Amino acid sequence: MIGIVATKTISGLGNSGRFARFVWQTITASAWSCSKSRTYPLIWTQMLIIGVRSVPVILITGAFVGMTLAIQVYDQLRSMGLEERMGQLVGVSVVKELGPVLAAVMLAGRIGGALTAELGTMNVTEQIDAVRSMGTNPIRYLVAPRVLACLLLTPFLIIYADLMGIVGGYFISVVLKGINSQAYWSFSASAVELWDISIGIIKGFFFGSAIAVISCYNGFTCREGAHGVGQACTEAFVASFISILAINFALAVVFNAIYSTFWPLRSLVG
Amino acid sequence: MKQNNDNKTNIDSDTNGILVVKNLTKHFDDNIVLDNISLTIEKGKTTVVIGPSGCGKTVLIKHLIVLLRPSSGEVYFKNRRIDNLSENELNKIRIHYGFLFQGGALFDSLSVAENILFPVRQHYKITDWEEVEEIIKTKLAMVGLDGFQNYYPANLSGGQQKRVALARAIALDPEVILYDEPTTGLDPIRADIINELILKLRRELGVTVVVVTHDMTSAYKIADRIIMLHNGKIIAGGDAEHIRNHPHPTVQQFINGQVSDDDLTILRMSGTISKAQFLPRDFEK
Repeated sequence: MIGIVATKTISGLGNSGRFARFVWQTITASAWSCSKSRTYPLIWTQMLIIGVRSVPVILITGAFVGMTLAIQVYDQLRSMGLEERMGQLVGVSVVKELGPVLAAVMLAGRIGGALTAELGTMNVTEQIDAVRSMGTNPIRYLVAPRVLACLLLTPFLIIYADLMGIVGGYFISVVLKGINSQAYWSFSASAVELWDISIGIIKGFFFGSAIAVISCYNGFTCREGAHGVGQACTEAFVASFISILAINFALAVVFNAIYSTFWPLRSLVG
Repeated sequence: MKQNNDNKTNIDSDTNGILVVKNLTKHFDDNIVLDNISLTIEKGKTTVVIGPSGCGKTVLIKHLIVLLRPSSGEVYFKNRRIDNLSENELNKIRIHYGFLFQGGALFDSLSVAENILFPVRQHYKITDWEEVEEIIKTKLAMVGLDGFQNYYPANLSGGQQKRVALARAIALDPEVILYDEPTTGLDPIRADIINELILKLRRELGVTVVVVTHDMTSAYKIADRIIMLHNGKIIAGGDAEHIRNHPHPTVQQFINGQVSDDDLTILRMSGTISKAQFLPRDFEK
């Protein structure tokens, strides 16, 4: 029993060490890529694949989040005679929490799965070894452009999700439930501050880099065969999902502390 | 290539050894794949490593370019120890190698021309695109595939993929070309085309060649020297004639493609129902 625990502990420490080394190599490779203009085409290509092609799915996610939220809270606000403040509640909820987190989860599924499957297949077909054999650092060539594309574009995708969340809430509140349009927009505008949008954007940087690094690591270390690639994709998504939730919690603690230090508490319906 | 396990050949790193391996051991967890191997690859010669599947041939060839690091032992390229270098330092060494992987390892998302251009773009700043096109054309012509520049790997046959991979391997005019199972999965005619290409490239480029294979027709045709790996050790080394007449029974068994008596006994047993085995009716009440 003690032997099994010891073996598992040593194995876990070994994996953590390898992941930490991979993260460090990715940071240095990304810094190197930023300084070399000849690597920019690789980053543009990944931006197209990771960013531009994710826009539709992110817009749909954001819209449904906003619509669902509006449906859920309408009756409760109406019972208090506060239904005109729908925009306020939908805006704050979507921009601060639901938009960034659900957009990131969607990206973890779409981008994370694709990155792990692509790099995993390259790994098992010796394409990564081929990159190394030609005197090229595979982390610089394969990982850094993907991580930079995710890092730079996830915040923009989160802004899209936020925007569509508010539009989705507008559709339910104004078009279906008949709330005054001007009231919806004015309460939305008054509730959502630059601070809230900034939190979403900062979260985007963390979520994007976590998804990319975890997915690339799983691709690089995946075992041989179709089963190995499939297992790596599953592990990448689960690890990305848990990381998103953990990072979201940690950032919420940090931002709340900062906010309460510099600004007075703000009432949700005040 | 010379190895010091065979009585007739001794390690000779001071003469023509472009690649030298000393006391190389490699294990994955408890599985010892290479066991204290020492050998010298002679400059300008073709060395063929033979052995049954899973005997460590690919692991050995990957150590020659340090795609794998030894568990213990040393690897030298042109008298410089390379197994302990950092990846960045190794990348400067690796441009002197060409490596043909077993499956070709072409990049699926790049065209044939882009695959060949890949190592060039990584190490040189391209200013004259006409010159680059000429390089691609020349390399493809050397493997008999000029005109395939805009094809993608998925549109090529297995043999064509290996030839494109070979064109990519020689893109940087290497001093050493390593071939991992170059004829595996090809029909005899296409396998012979690859053999002829290996001979042609060595003749025209003057490179040192190391080939890992279990195709004895190929080995006899291209080798200046053949060594045989078995259970992680070198059990024989010499020219084709020496290997043909080698007294070691495992060598004779391998080169003649004969199954061992022990394996034959097991195979003949399989398919029979032993008396100890339960039958379905044994579980019926």
